[in-house]
Amino acid sequence: MTTENRVSVQLKGLRKVYGDAVALADFSLDIAPGELVALLGPSGCGKTTALRILAGLDTDHQGQIIVNGKDIASVPANKRNMGMVFQAYSLFPTMTVLENVAYGLRVRKVDKEKRNKKAQELLDLVGLGEMGSRLGHQLSGGQQQRVALARALAIQPNVLLLDEPLSALDAQVRTQLRDEIKRIQIEVGTTTLFVTHDQEEAMAIADRVGVMRHGVLEQCAPPQEVYLNPANVKVAKFVGAMNLMPAQIISSDSLKIYGQSVALRGSSATSSKDPLALVRPEQLSLTMATSQGPASATVFNLTFLGPLTRISVRMNADARTLFVSMPSAAALEFVAGSLVDVQIHATSVLLDS
Amino acid sequence: MKQKLNISNYIVLLAATAFFVFPLIAAFEFSLRSNQGKSHDWSNYQWILHEPGFRTNLGVSMRLALLTAVAVLVLMVPTIVYLHLGGARWKRLVEFVCLVPLVVPVISFALGVGTAFPTFLQSTVYELSFLYVIISLPYTYRALDVGLSSIPLLTLVEASRASGATMRQTLVFVVIPTIRSAVNGAVFLAVALSLGEFTLAVLLHWDTFPTWIANVSQGHILNAIALSVLSLVGAWVVVMIFALAPKSLRSSKSQEATS
Amino acid sequence: MSQTITKRTDAPKPGVGPLHFANRLGSLKSLIPLLPFFAFIAYFLVFPLTFIFRDAFLSNDGKFTFENFAQCFQGVYGHSFYVSIRLSIISAAIGAVAGALIASAIVKTGTRSRRAVAATASVLANTGGVPLAFMFLAGFGTEGLVTKALKALGWNIYGGSFTLFSASGIILVYSFFQIPLMVLIYSPALENVKPEWREASDSLGGNRLTYFLRITVPLLFPAFLSTALLLFANSFSAYATARAMTSGTLPLMPLLIGNLVDGNVIANQEHLGHAMAVCMVGVSIIVMSIYLLVLKFSKVKR
Repeated sequence: MTTENRVSVQLKGLRKVYGDAVALADFSLDIAPGELVALLGPSGCGKTTALRILAGLDTDHQGQIIVNGKDIASVPANKRNMGMVFQAYSLFPTMTVLENVAYGLRVRKVDKEKRNKKAQELLDLVGLGEMGSRLGHQLSGGQQQRVALARALAIQPNVLLLDEPLSALDAQVRTQLRDEIKRIQIEVGTTTLFVTHDQEEAMAIADRVGVMRHGVLEQCAPPQEVYLNPANVKVAKFVGAMNLMPAQIISSDSLKIYGQSVALRGSSATSSKDPLALVRPEQLSLTMATSQGPASATVFNLTFLGPLTRISVRMNADARTLFVSMPSAAALEFVAGSLVDVQIHATSVLLDS
Repeated sequence: MKQKLNISNYIVLLAATAFFVFPLIAAFEFSLRSNQGKSHDWSNYQWILHEPGFRTNLGVSMRLALLTAVAVLVLMVPTIVYLHLGGARWKRLVEFVCLVPLVVPVISFALGVGTAFPTFLQSTVYELSFLYVIISLPYTYRALDVGLSSIPLLTLVEASRASGATMRQTLVFVVIPTIRSAVNGAVFLAVALSLGEFTLAVLLHWDTFPTWIANVSQGHILNAIALSVLSLVGAWVVVMIFALAPKSLRSSKSQEATS
Repeated sequence: MSQTITKRTDAPKPGVGPLHFANRLGSLKSLIPLLPFFAFIAYFLVFPLTFIFRDAFLSNDGKFTFENFAQCFQGVYGHSFYVSIRLSIISAAIGAVAGALIASAIVKTGTRSRRAVAATASVLANTGGVPLAFMFLAGFGTEGLVTKALKALGWNIYGGSFTLFSASGIILVYSFFQIPLMVLIYSPALENVKPEWREASDSLGGNRLTYFLRITVPLLFPAFLSTALLLFANSFSAYATARAMTSGTLPLMPLLIGNLVDGNVIANQEHLGHAMAVCMVGVSIIVMSIYLLVLKFSKVKR
């Protein structure tokens, strides 16, 4: 079941304020046909605002909304043909599951037989084919969200919008359902915008991740790119864990960290007398040391996390604590108190501003 | 959560039951008396049905109740739905206004109405309905407000609009079915009030069921008592049915996820 | 966690919402959909009230005067003002204490019985007028069953000067709806008293009295007082029952106003009724203001 009408979406220069607070500041985003873009950021960063503006549920803004080449900013929400999945509680309580899914078709005056058939198709697609005659409150949270997804897809929307659809669910249901959503999205092929504050979620399902902070889109790139090559310090610190390591600026594109040369990405301008570089735990490795060196450290704690082990080490040079992440098998040789050498494997790092 | 009652609790409950039940039983016994106290039968209960004017006046009160209920719905439902959807800034003002009828004694209100309203308005008994709407405001507003607050109205409306429905379709297909139990509550309150309201009716010189009963009771104490007992017990039975009905029959609560 | 989500998505900012026009309008324009409501209120509530206020200051020849108000506080009218207030205070006190005791007992029982009690209380709280009056006449009248029963127990209630048609009789009859009203409105406050506090108090060495004085009373006092005020206002404004029982012969303000309206008017005292009505509204406003203030200071969820 694929849509023939894969559309492209362009949000250009969206601006919105609530009194003194800026919700969106010159926000621009392009979504390619069939692509799933995840907007990621903490609460209040403007991701939901952007989604709602695209949906037409928020009309008090400046900027353009271009879908398939046409500016639809003046089109009311109910004429935009976009399917939306809300965070929770969006199933109509007095209608059965089937009636919920068929709702979009009902308001488009599709006759009963046709729309029920289509609704049933979609329920089968989301794996709830038998639940058609139940009421919303009789389903679990995860099932309710599947129904919401089926309902959004029933109208064969140009764009699929998901507003933190998994945030209200238990951890296990969340991971299951997010894979489901990705599978269905690929199958149906609808251009999709997915909003979340959960990094893992965004990285797991998105074709591109848009990291937002304070109404600004800091970076929009494939998940690996955002993780490995964060565009700036804000993105780097928000996505994944980071070590702050004292660095000497050698030139405009190289640093020395604990005696090792590392390429510098981004600006070398910093106001601090003691600049710090951002290095991920998995970009560090340890080897048993026999003697003291500039990168010597002592292991003081190991946390076993399943496939990975996180080792905290204290640098002998300045007593700084660093976190190193490595496959558990490799971590076996270290114990608390081991004298180790820390090596940096990053191709390039950012300076903390 | 159940706790253990101590001895003073039991004493209080016993005294309370006695206080409330004995007059009722006594009245009941009284109402069964006939033939100058020499025998007991149900004749007093049948009397009221045969009194001339029973049908007429009951009819008047029922029509009043119907008009009041309709007026309350037409006036309050759109108002409260609007308050919950976009007019939230006016909520406190409307709430305050709906509390005013509680502050104004009905007697003062009746006097004001009698003085203020032009004769054309006072020529029909149905003027009472509009006044009943006013006095029922504190209760009907609260019933509707509580009902609407317990559903995620905004999300449902947005979901409906995102699915492509016009505002009218949203109201008809989504909003009204969902607030049905709150609406029922408000209608129930309005009807109960209309059927039993006495002060306004009597001071504006109208014949409604309660005023007629008061009149007719003057000469027929026993019968009046029978009526009192009947109305009290009847109302209590109806209310208890609703209170003790199993959960599925009472108000429909929206989604309660089981996991 | 689901609670926070509901609050987030369902607390619309003013002017933001699915209604397009409400989004774009300035604050006054968003008032437009409420105009029918306010128009109705203006005509059917405000308009009559302004007439009472206006006429209260009119003398019989249409001139502005305070005379009506002066009369309110003198003679038979002033006496009725006093009687009304005194009766209402006593009725409120009895209702509040008895109701609180009953509510304290009920709140300890299970959910189902609490619901049944609430339903019963709502019916009882709404009884009044003729049905109530006649029921009490039947039970407590000279030929009534209760009177006879009490006589059998050795207590002749009519031995002294008691009669149902006096202020004391009214207080007795009013209790029939005042006490249930108290139970109905006060119970939710009681449900906020957690038994864990009692256990904590015991484990820290407190006894029943200290627990009562230091924990229960400060916690429940606002709710108790505010409901008692409600009872006062309820008794003060009550008309139907008093009229049914005394045919308007008792010196109570509502009854006097009713008499003036009913046509038992002495020609030049029409506006006196308006002044008395204003006085009644004034008392109610004072009481309700105190009620709202007390509620504001109570930090317990109602």
